[in-house]
Amino acid sequence: MNVHTYEKVWLIGAMVLIVGFIVTITYGSVGLGIAMVDDSEETIEPSELDEDERFADPRVEQVGENEYEAYVVAQTFIFQPDPIEVPAGSEVTFYVTSPDVIHSFSIVGTNVNTMVIPGEVAAMTVEFDEPGEYGVVCNEYCGSGHHTMEGELHVVPDEEFDMTELSVEADDEVETGDEATIEVEVENRMLEALETTVALEIGDETLEEDVTIDGGEAETTTFTIDSADLGEGDHDWTVTVDDYEDSGTLTVADELEEDDDE
Amino acid sequence: MTMSNAYIDDFPAEAKLVRTAFYSSFLALALGGVFGIIQTLHRTGYYRFIDSADYYTVLTAHGVFLVISFTIFFLVGVFTWAITTSLDRGVEDLRFSWGWYGLMATGITLSGVAILAGFTDATDISASVLFTFYAPLQAHPMFYLGLVLFVVGTWLAGADWFRSWWAWKQENPDSRIPLPTFMVLTTMLMWYIATLGVAAAILLFLLPWSLGLVDSVNPLLTRTLFWFFGHPVVYFWLMPAYMMWYVLLPKVSGGKLFSDPLARVVFVLFLILSVPTGIHHQYLDPGIAEGFKFIAMTNTMFLLLPSLLTAFTVVASMEHGARQRGGEGYFGWLTALPWRDPVFTGMALAGLMFAAAGFSGMINAGMNINYLVHNTFWVVGHFHLTVGTAVALTFMAVTYWFLPQITGRALWSRSVALGQVVLWFVGMTFMSNAMHRGGLLGVPRRTAEPQYDGFEFEAAVGSMGELQAQIALGGILLTLSLVLFFANVFGTALNGRSDELPANEYAGTLSGPEDAPLVLDNLKLWTAIAVVLVIFAYTFPLLSIVDRGGLFGPDINPLPVSLETVHLLAFVLESHVTGTLESIAWLGVNR
Ligand code: HEM
Ligand SMILES: [Cu+2]
Ligand SMILES: [Cu+2]
Repeated sequence: MNVHTYEKVWLIGAMVLIVGFIVTITYGSVGLGIAMVDDSEETIEPSELDEDERFADPRVEQVGENEYEAYVVAQTFIFQPDPIEVPAGSEVTFYVTSPDVIHSFSIVGTNVNTMVIPGEVAAMTVEFDEPGEYGVVCNEYCGSGHHTMEGELHVVPDEEFDMTELSVEADDEVETGDEATIEVEVENRMLEALETTVALEIGDETLEEDVTIDGGEAETTTFTIDSADLGEGDHDWTVTVDDYEDSGTLTVADELEEDDDE
Repeated sequence: MTMSNAYIDDFPAEAKLVRTAFYSSFLALALGGVFGIIQTLHRTGYYRFIDSADYYTVLTAHGVFLVISFTIFFLVGVFTWAITTSLDRGVEDLRFSWGWYGLMATGITLSGVAILAGFTDATDISASVLFTFYAPLQAHPMFYLGLVLFVVGTWLAGADWFRSWWAWKQENPDSRIPLPTFMVLTTMLMWYIATLGVAAAILLFLLPWSLGLVDSVNPLLTRTLFWFFGHPVVYFWLMPAYMMWYVLLPKVSGGKLFSDPLARVVFVLFLILSVPTGIHHQYLDPGIAEGFKFIAMTNTMFLLLPSLLTAFTVVASMEHGARQRGGEGYFGWLTALPWRDPVFTGMALAGLMFAAAGFSGMINAGMNINYLVHNTFWVVGHFHLTVGTAVALTFMAVTYWFLPQITGRALWSRSVALGQVVLWFVGMTFMSNAMHRGGLLGVPRRTAEPQYDGFEFEAAVGSMGELQAQIALGGILLTLSLVLFFANVFGTALNGRSDELPANEYAGTLSGPEDAPLVLDNLKLWTAIAVVLVIFAYTFPLLSIVDRGGLFGPDINPLPVSLETVHLLAFVLESHVTGTLESIAWLGVNR
């Protein structure tokens, strides 16, 4: 075949360019150990996410000192959890799946971007060095409300990050002279132990108790209050643990109404 | 009376067929353009008169009408012209030819009606599934059926062209396949292989599923079959444009095609490399191993080769033409080109934009960089340069050459035509550039309202407002350009019959087929290689997908887009209400 010299030069140049691309990209992904979204995760039954250990309760879990896993469900037209909260300086693996149609999970302005296909779980590991707030969007058309599908990712400073959960069980009403109890359960979902103080304010009284909660454990602190000290009437209370707060009202009455159920 | 040698003089019956195909194509272009400007103004927030839920019906119509009907009707017209002209014989059986045209027209009408029915609540027919129709989004069966008929129509068209070639070969046993015919045949072979994917997706899965015959589908499987077809289809759009750059552009530049053998090599490369690359659209898909993605990427990179070769040939042929016209100097020859000719200028500008598209395409193709841009507005910017300009502008430019050939009437206005192609170039520069930049900020594609409650897109240079303004301005210029285009189409049709038309001729070659090794014409060999590569690239991914998710997929509910609005609204309401109820309940517990 009769090929013009310039054409030959061009042809060789083109081949060099192409091989160059392939080599750079191979190095850029395989050489630097950047993992792609692939088939490493088992498939999942989209209609049974509510029975799945990871996705029934979409959340962030700590799995190592600075390692976290986020189990995210993308569905028409929301992301769960929302916002997703992780500490700066951590490595987070996102596991994302969908119970309905194809979506995407895309952290705006970054290359954290994956398709979310029902039946499959997309996994990708990301390092977050600095605190910041990011938007999360679905960039695959998923139905008429697609444009409303958004979420947020908060990377909070390490020292401000915790995975503490507070829940309070308190009496609503007691008869003067009886004791009222307020049970405070504090769960520490981090791996390290949590040292903190549970504080209850009621009337003009403040009760405090120092607690140490091991990683992955929950502790219950029970405050007992003598209603006679409070006196008849409504008394507002507040429970505080670090930045978490819960509050309510305790009613002290001379005589509880007859038809009140026990 | 002087008789000219225009196409219509030599092949009056075929000219009518080509004309009908072109007019069908232009109708689709007009509809697509209307939807294009509606969605541009809606997305950018300048003018919203439709409901955002209907945006996706508009977008489906824009996509399907432009990339299925506009491009492919034009292709069958050009290919019919190429076969009849280069073999110098009419079609073998005119009824058969009208048959495939009829099938295509019926098919696209069915699909089109299914899409447009989405605007009214009078029927529950609709198909707002976008041109990719990813399951579990579900369209009305009519949509899928229409697509099948349309594709079968193109298969028969291909059979028609092969038939002409076989008949010609009987009479010319020792001749080389004329270049335009060679281009048609290799493109059609590629198309037969490529469409197997979409045919399988529709006939085995989506159509039975939409009819309720099977309960579910494997979304990753139908998606993969779609892209088996979805990548090569871009070459189906591009090949007629390439053909025009090879056989018409050198001629209107005043010269000859630089090399016939290299042109054949290019088309052979497209035949063998177009299909085994589709997985590059699925770099971000879970459920597909990294190795398969890597194979697709390697093939994709090699697919740059024929386009780079084309760039060389096109520029070299233009330079040859310019020098024939007295052009001199290193770059001085550029001024000797016929810039006042809309056919030339349109094609040259289309080629220039295609070069720009090559750069953004290389970004898309890199399996790691792709994460940054996948499904963002960047991608929309990219394909408005490729199919939206390299292809569409070439088609519009050559229309100014074809119209006299197929109607027998002189072009209504050359200067309007020149203004039109330049306006398209300018409009697309604004629109596409801003789309690319928006994509880098993370602005998603396919979104009625790209503005969110929780965050804003932050531009390092310029602002979102400025990008939106450029997109809207670009869209308006493009729409004006379309108006000028249709003015010329109508104006020409209304002109009287002319008998001073240019002859129906395409470019000669500097280095002719005699320089091309015979093996290049061995279509069986290239087809066999293409099939082997496809088997190599797709067998394992497909087996693995079926093994993971089952042939008919997991237990999943179809999301019929026909009942979508009602259905989804109910869902959203429900989830909001349950959400609120839950928080109330939660508060209660804590009191
Ligand atoms: C008046 C000229 C045009 C305008 C104003 C226009 C505008 C747009 C806009 C704004 C979008 C993005 C919608 C979104 O992602 O939300 C879009 C999508 C698209 N356009 Fe165009 N366009 C024009 C011409 C064309 C042409 C000539 C073609 C091809 C031949 C084309 C093919 C497409 C395709 C395939 C999509 C993607 C559809 C999808 O995502 O499903 N457009 N167009
Ligand atoms: Cu979405
Ligand atoms: Cu592709």
